[in-house]
Amino acid sequence: MRVLIVEDDKTLAGQIEKSLLEAGYAVDVAYDGEDGHFLGDTEPYDAVVLDLGLPSMDGQTVLKQWRTNDRKMPVLVLTARDTWTDKVEGLDAGADDYLTKPFIVEELLARLRALIRRAAGQTTPKLECGPVMLDTRNGRVSVGGTPIKLTAQEFKLLSYLMHHEGKVISRTELTEHIYDQDFDRDSNTIEVFVNRIRKKLNADIVHTIRGLGYRLEWIEQA
Amino acid sequence: MMAALRHFFSGLTGRLLMSAVLLSIAALISGSTVLSFVFRTYVVSDVDTRLELFLDTMVGISEISPDGVIRFTRPLSDQRFSTPYSGLYWQISEQGQEAFRSRSLWDFELASQPEHRSFSIKYMEVEGPDGQSLRMAERDIILPEGERIFHYHVAMDTAEINAAIQQFNLWLMGALSVTMLVVTAALVLQVRYGLKPLRRIGENLSRIRAGKESRIEGSWPHDLQPLAAEINALMEQNEQLVNRARTHVGNLAHAVKTPLSIIQNDVEGQNGERLVRIRKQTRLIREHVDHHLKRARIAGGGSGAGLPIHERLSKLVRAIEVMTSDRGIMFSLDCDESLRFDGEKEDFDEVLGNLIDNAGKWAESRVSVTAERIIEPNQRSMMKICVEDDGTGVPESELDTLFERGKRLDELVPGTGLGLAIVRDIVEMYGGQAVLETSEYGGLAAILRLPAKDA
Repeated sequence: MRVLIVEDDKTLAGQIEKSLLEAGYAVDVAYDGEDGHFLGDTEPYDAVVLDLGLPSMDGQTVLKQWRTNDRKMPVLVLTARDTWTDKVEGLDAGADDYLTKPFIVEELLARLRALIRRAAGQTTPKLECGPVMLDTRNGRVSVGGTPIKLTAQEFKLLSYLMHHEGKVISRTELTEHIYDQDFDRDSNTIEVFVNRIRKKLNADIVHTIRGLGYRLEWIEQA
Repeated sequence: MMAALRHFFSGLTGRLLMSAVLLSIAALISGSTVLSFVFRTYVVSDVDTRLELFLDTMVGISEISPDGVIRFTRPLSDQRFSTPYSGLYWQISEQGQEAFRSRSLWDFELASQPEHRSFSIKYMEVEGPDGQSLRMAERDIILPEGERIFHYHVAMDTAEINAAIQQFNLWLMGALSVTMLVVTAALVLQVRYGLKPLRRIGENLSRIRAGKESRIEGSWPHDLQPLAAEINALMEQNEQLVNRARTHVGNLAHAVKTPLSIIQNDVEGQNGERLVRIRKQTRLIREHVDHHLKRARIAGGGSGAGLPIHERLSKLVRAIEVMTSDRGIMFSLDCDESLRFDGEKEDFDEVLGNLIDNAGKWAESRVSVTAERIIEPNQRSMMKICVEDDGTGVPESELDTLFERGKRLDELVPGTGLGLAIVRDIVEMYGGQAVLETSEYGGLAAILRLPAKDA
């Protein structure tokens, strides 16, 4: 899962970034409206944390332009302006949730998880596929009740696939959603990760669709 | 009574009336004095003319008899000369001789100083018989018959003159008193009429204070126009000051919030006495900031055209629907399109946003928002807005305490617990009411009475 943070206060942005990284997200940070707008317009994000009071281009405008350009990723608006009139305006501009400052990062994480799940059409915080279960609240993965240890990259990959269960995901899409923009991308490593995951899960749920990519699906063995 | 009078005369109307009445009294007194004096002069000169006429007649009919005694060739025609003490007298004196007198003088003799010669007529006041005071004309005459000098007197009682003057003064006083009354009445009318625009400005100001108008408008007499303009300018300045203060409070509060987030995140989830204390204090700072920021924002005034609430409610419901969309709660809105709130958008949003948001947090599966006009004869136009949910609700005994500041029934549901307190504050600022009841759906029902704008 790849998230964009647009927040002009570097310390706060750093705190959010750190917590998101720890929670297993790929994170990009922009410190002003224009940069944020550009990234959101060009890169595929699974969610955006957008501060409304930004230099060079305010958050409301950024959000409106994204929605005009048909960018549909879920956006969590972050602001010190906490009147209901502000909230209504923010949500009118196309935000999916609203968090007022001051806030605790844990709350932001919870809201973000809910947003991503909702956008992927999932309704519960626990994603399941056959015996494999991923709890988005604490990032734990288990197979048939036994906890499995995954590296950060493996977790990101599996999490993205679990959110999009049953859909064919290309390698490029996977690359785009599990690495931030500064990462030196090599789509061959995806194959390495997928193999490691298959080995660790010991359950046949990640299927290779030749020439297209991967599909996560549990097929009952007769 | 005295205090009331003093109060009246210290007012503008009292002052104007008082000064006008005093001035007109002064004018009337001096006018009547002059009139009375002129009348007296006229009456006296009339008497003098008559006296001179008598004197001339007397001289005309005087002759010296062969035996050297002065006498009249015929009697004077006026009967009063023959009636004793009638008030009309004549006397002819000659030095060294007994005075020749009218019968009316009877045994009285007019004071005469024949040694002071005066051949032109002289007038004076002298004492007469029976205590009368007389107006007397006298003149020395040399009759053609001889070289003797006679001193002629004609006198008239002034009682008649004084009576006439008194009569005149009486009439004058009467006429002037009536004039005074009429003038005073006219002054009262004039003051009322003249001060009417001032009263209108006063009424206008109280309407502005009640939030029904924002400025003194309309045309005013040209000498009041500067006052109206000044009041408007003052109000504009006042508004700017309030807005500036609000903006500053807002900016301060918002500026504090980002650093506060950072501190909170740094100490969150860590133990140690000091960290716990810091966490508690930052939470307190946050609550203070929220409390004062929200109160500083309350406008509490009427808005000119009224706020169409259907649009606001739909937007609020849609916003809260988005925020709770993962819980699949059904929101229903039943509101007349024409209903308008007599107040500010921000205040309305704050009240209903908090209530609907609360309902959304507690609801099991549905939230219902209804708004309708309340028809109460002879009352200010009001509306009733009801926000209900089908959650677990609150025991009757605790309903009343919910509006208290910082009160939260469940610390696990996010929110600072200030929501309902601010709702009550805003509603009361508008002269409305907020009541909590148990909803027919099982949860909480928040029922508001708010001022409506007449369509």
